[in-house]
Amino acid sequence: MNTMDMKRFLFTCKIEFVLMVRNFFGFFFGLIFPLMMLVLFGSIFGNQPFSPGSDLRMMDLSIPGYAVMVMGVAGLMSFPLTLAECKEKKIYKRFDATPVGKAHIILAQITVNLLLTVLGIAILLAAGKLLYQLQIQGDILSIAVSALLSIAAMFAMGFLFTAVGKDAKLTHLLCYLFYFVMLFLSGATVPAMLFPEQIRKLSQLLPMTHAVDLMQGVFVGNSLSMHGKELLILGGICLVFYGVGALCYTKRDWT
Amino acid sequence: MSQIIVQAEHLHLSYKNVRAVQDVSFSLKEGEVLAVVGANGSGKTSTIECVEGLRKPDSGSVQVFGQDPWSHRREVYRKIGIQLQETEYPAKIRVEELCRLYAGFYERPADWEGLLSQMDLEEKRKRTVSKLSGGEKQRLSVLLALMGRPRLLILDELTTGLDPEVRQNMWETFRAIRDNGVAILLVSHYLDEVEALADRMLYLEQGKQLFFGSQAEFRKWAKARIAPEDLPGDCSLEKLYLQIVPKTTGITMEGIL
Repeated sequence: MNTMDMKRFLFTCKIEFVLMVRNFFGFFFGLIFPLMMLVLFGSIFGNQPFSPGSDLRMMDLSIPGYAVMVMGVAGLMSFPLTLAECKEKKIYKRFDATPVGKAHIILAQITVNLLLTVLGIAILLAAGKLLYQLQIQGDILSIAVSALLSIAAMFAMGFLFTAVGKDAKLTHLLCYLFYFVMLFLSGATVPAMLFPEQIRKLSQLLPMTHAVDLMQGVFVGNSLSMHGKELLILGGICLVFYGVGALCYTKRDWT
Repeated sequence: MSQIIVQAEHLHLSYKNVRAVQDVSFSLKEGEVLAVVGANGSGKTSTIECVEGLRKPDSGSVQVFGQDPWSHRREVYRKIGIQLQETEYPAKIRVEELCRLYAGFYERPADWEGLLSQMDLEEKRKRTVSKLSGGEKQRLSVLLALMGRPRLLILDELTTGLDPEVRQNMWETFRAIRDNGVAILLVSHYLDEVEALADRMLYLEQGKQLFFGSQAEFRKWAKARIAPEDLPGDCSLEKLYLQIVPKTTGITMEGIL
């Protein structure tokens, strides 16, 4: 990519970011809503020990869960809903009839949603530190690897839903359904340790649960080797969902 | 001698069981307007999309500037401007943002601010695309087709939704563009538009090419297909066309009134 291409790409990203802010949904649920959850639950529980005598504190566990919520907003809502709409309205078709092609626009949309994720997590961490003296005991590398894998898994689900949804309506339904079920049952909003046994079992079937477990684990100082199961499941989701999604796209004419 | 810009030979294209394009061949030279006409579903847009490189023909070949538009899309798109039949843009994008975005796609973009004035969209530059009227959207899509200073313009239903005065202005603009050596491939349902702009015509019926030649040749060809008692008095292109195009079932008042 030369300087001209980079300048062009950055401008496209800027426009896509502006559009995301104007669309409000991604902006609100990615940046504002998790912060509201943080303040709401923080004002109720504070950063008290999770149980008497426990080293784990409420906010130290909740914030990685909220971070996964942000990843879910970008990967499972904002990006796939944009993609489904652009596909259905043939917006990509027009972009495809230019020298840059639709890949340029899709790449910019992915970049902007990744930026939303990073911004959302950064705001959460800053607010957590400022308001509740958040303590991160894990090492940066383990947290970064876990975050990247969790983000990739969320985007993989969204990608698959755009590929299997024969229209935007079905993609919307799948994304909303999975996102909200996972939001409340994965431990992203309420720590899974507070769930009854049956719900906890059900929660193990949800991909987001494993992202939450992984993120919470590495935040409190667990090594990656202690989370082999989560790494395997999230890695498997990426492989299978991206693979099946790509196969669906090659089989179906979506020009 | 004028350079050949588009050369299509024996194009065939099917969608599942529908044979959309069957053995269509034509050429387009620089500084020429070729109008593709035919009833709805006759294969006009499918033919054009093969030229645009948006669809790969099942068989036959298309060359645009000597290149296959399907396999050399990006290079070809540097030289062509396209106005699609159905175009949507992101709903919340503003007119000037869309223009800036498209200008960035080309190495030597046109003066889009000047084009905004020419297309009477200057006052709408801050407006989001979703708030534009149908005619304004149409003018915007024409503006974007001109953004890359194209040597070939492909216009699919150029003046649909435009009022008569704007249509006339649009024709003037495209005559001037053609006179500058730009080749224009025009798909239209308006035969007055074809009469005003086209040098040659391609007439399609159910995916098959029935005629390719000049307007004068089309008149002769059409007259030969019409029974003498049915020949229209003024023999305008539109009246001749209406005589040869397959008849559709009209709407009856039965069950309405």
